[in-house]
Amino acid sequence: MPVKNEFDVIIIGGGITGAGTARDCAMRGLKVLLIERQDIATGATGRNHGLLHSGARYAVKDSESAEECIRENKILRRIAANCVEDTGGLFITLPEDADSGFGLDYQATFLEACNKAGIEARAISPREAIEMEPSVNPTLIGAVVVPDGSVDPFRLCSANVTDAVLHGAKVLAYTEFLDFIREGDTILGVKVLDTRSGETAEYRAPVTVNAAGIWGHGVAEKAGVHIGMYPAKGALLVFGHRVNNVVINRCRKSADGDILVPGDSVTVIGTTSTKVPFEECDHMEVTPDEVRLLLREGCALCPALASTRILRAYAGVRPLVADDSDPTGRSISRGIVCLDHETRDGVKGFVSITGGKLMTYRLMAELATDAVCRKLGVSKGCTTAETPLPGSMNGRIESVSKRFEGKPTAGQKGAAGRQGDMVSKITFETEADKQLVCECENVTLAEIKYAVRELGVRNLGDLRRRTRVGMGTCQGTLCIRRAAKALAEALGQPELADKLAADYLDERWKGMRAVGWGDTLREMEFMQRVYKYEKPYSYDEV
Amino acid sequence: MKFDVIIIGGGLAGMTAATALQEAGLRCAIVAEGLSLQNAPRRGFSAAGGTLLAGDRVVSGRFAGDRLVAVRTEKLGDVELEAENFVLATGKYFSRGLVADMDKVYEPLFGLDVEYDEDRSKWFDPSFAAPQKFLEFGVKCEGGKAVKDGKAIANLYPAGEVLAGVTSAQGDATEAIVKSAVEAVNAIWRK
Repeated sequence: MPVKNEFDVIIIGGGITGAGTARDCAMRGLKVLLIERQDIATGATGRNHGLLHSGARYAVKDSESAEECIRENKILRRIAANCVEDTGGLFITLPEDADSGFGLDYQATFLEACNKAGIEARAISPREAIEMEPSVNPTLIGAVVVPDGSVDPFRLCSANVTDAVLHGAKVLAYTEFLDFIREGDTILGVKVLDTRSGETAEYRAPVTVNAAGIWGHGVAEKAGVHIGMYPAKGALLVFGHRVNNVVINRCRKSADGDILVPGDSVTVIGTTSTKVPFEECDHMEVTPDEVRLLLREGCALCPALASTRILRAYAGVRPLVADDSDPTGRSISRGIVCLDHETRDGVKGFVSITGGKLMTYRLMAELATDAVCRKLGVSKGCTTAETPLPGSMNGRIESVSKRFEGKPTAGQKGAAGRQGDMVSKITFETEADKQLVCECENVTLAEIKYAVRELGVRNLGDLRRRTRVGMGTCQGTLCIRRAAKALAEALGQPELADKLAADYLDERWKGMRAVGWGDTLREMEFMQRVYKYEKPYSYDEV
Repeated sequence: MKFDVIIIGGGLAGMTAATALQEAGLRCAIVAEGLSLQNAPRRGFSAAGGTLLAGDRVVSGRFAGDRLVAVRTEKLGDVELEAENFVLATGKYFSRGLVADMDKVYEPLFGLDVEYDEDRSKWFDPSFAAPQKFLEFGVKCEGGKAVKDGKAIANLYPAGEVLAGVTSAQGDATEAIVKSAVEAVNAIWRK
C-alpha cells in the first residue's frame, strides 16, 4: 500500500462545501487533497432547487440566516456571475393564506423583517405581480419583490474545483474514504479506495476536514466522535419547460412545496422535508405522496403546472445537525456548524464542517479553512469573497460570446453561457466540433471534448453535470447514444459507449418512474420505442 | 351519415382492418389524427371508395343497450357518424389510446374497461432495458369485443396496441397487431 504524505490538508467530500473549502485552502497556499467517492456535486449539492436565496425566506424566524444569505447572495453575484441568473423573486399571498393567519398583516411583518436583515424588499400590487410574472396564480392578494435568483449548483461546484486545481490542489473523484490513519488521539490521514480500479491507498496530512454532508455522520464515527445528525429528505419535481421567469415563493411560514425556481430551460418545484434513516441516503426514491403534495402546492403558486409535463422527480438529503448545547439532541441547528474536534472531543487534526446550505457554502468554507489555518499556524486571510471563480472572471455572458469569430452558433452561445470565460479553452477546430450532440441544451462535440480534457468527466452523469447534456426536455431520449459515442471516443475507450448509454438511461428512468403517468408516461413509451430493436447494451459484454 | 364500419385510428391495425373491409365491399370510414396514415394503404383505401377523415379524432360515442350506435369527432361537432360496427385501433399511451393519471389507466373515448395493475409501483422495472409492465396494459376483450362496465359491446372490436398484451414498444409486434386486426375483420365479415 503506497503511503503518500505530500499534503497540508485532506478534505473529504466533493460537494459544494468540500469544493469551496478546497479552493479556499489552496488559495491560502496550502497543499490540498480533495477526495470524493463519486463525482463532484452528486449528493445534496446537485439535488436541490438551485435557488439563489435572498434570505427573505428566513427573515421572520431566523434573522441570522437571513443576513448570512443576503451577504452571500451579493458575493455570489460578484464572484460567480456565470453561475447565477438574476431572475428576481416574488413572495405571494393567496386568499387562503389569510384564513390561516398569513394574510396581509403577515406580509407587513415579513417586509419589516426583510428590511431589518438588509434584504431589499418592496410590496407591489397583485396587478403588478402578474405583469412581472404572468404565470403567477392570478387570485393572489399581495406580493413582495425580493432579490432572489437562480444558481446552477453543478456549475458552481465545478468552478470551485477547477479553481482549487488551478491553485495546486489534487482532486480525486471516485475515491471513497474507508478509514482514518490514527496514532493515539491524532488523525494522521486517510485510507481510501479507488472505486474504479479497486486499489486502496493512504494519504497523510496534519489536518483532515470532514465535508461529507449527511455522510459526514459516518465519517465522524470512524474518528470516534459523534455528530448528532438528522437526514432530512427533500423531494423536487422538474417540469418540461421554463414555466416562470421569476422565482415564486409563498409568503407564509416555510412549508412543503412553496418555492418555484426557473433554471436554464426548466422549472423546479420543491421541496418536502421528511426524516429518513441513514441507510436510505444512498437510495432516494420519490414517493407518490410526495409527488401529490408538490403538485398541489406547485399549482397554488402557478396554476399552469397542472397541465405541464413533468420531466422527472428527484430527492436530496439535507445534513441537519442537532444543537450541541441541547443535551436531548432534539433542537436542530439550521445554521453553519464548524467543529474543531480537538477542543470538542480531544481528537487532534480533525475538523468537521456541516449544516448550512448551498447559499452559504463560501462562508462555510471560510470558517473551515480558518480552523485549518489555526491548526497549521498559517495566518493568510480569506480572499474568496473578492476573487471571481473561473468562468466568471470576465464579466457577463454577452461579452464572452463576442469572442467568437463571426456570428456565434447556438452551440457556441450555449457553451459561453455554461462555461463563461472558460469557453476560450473550447476549440472548434473542425465542422464536426461545431455540430450539436444535444439539441435540447445546445451542446456541441467540442464542448464534450473540453469537458473530458479539462473537467474530469468519466461518464454521462459527470458530463450532464458539467454541460447539461441530456438534461433538457427529451431527457436524453434522442441524443444519448450520440453523446455516449462522443464521450467514449474522447475518453479513448470507444468500446465503453454502450455501457455509458445504458447507465444513463437507467438513471433517467429512475427519475421518470416516480412521475410515470400522463404525458410523462407517453414520453416513457416513446423512449422504450426508440430503443426497442436494439437495446443499447448488454451487461454481459461489459 | 351512416357507415357499415367506422375505424378509429390509422396505424398498422386500423389501416389493415380498413383496407380489408373496404375492399370486401363494406362502406368504411377512418377517423385518424397524426402522421400514422401511411401513403400506400391510404391510397388503396381511398381508391376502393373509403371515406377518410384525416386529422380528426373521435371525442365521444353514443351507446344503446349493448351497442355503440354513433361517434362524434372534434371537427364534425354535433354531426354524428353512425355505423353497424366499429374498430378501435387507437394504440397505447403515446397516441392517447390509453391515458394514465396518478391512480388509474383508462380508455378516454368510451370509458372501456382496461386491464392494468392498480399498484403503480408495479408498472415499471427499474432497469430501462427490462420488460415494462405498463406496456402490457390495454382494453379488455371478450370474444374479440370491447367491454364496458363489465359487459361486452356487441359491435366494438379493439385491434392493435390498444389491446392488453400487445405492444411494439419493446420489440417487433407486427404479427400480433396484424393478427388482431384480421380477427376484427373476420368477426365483422361473419355478421
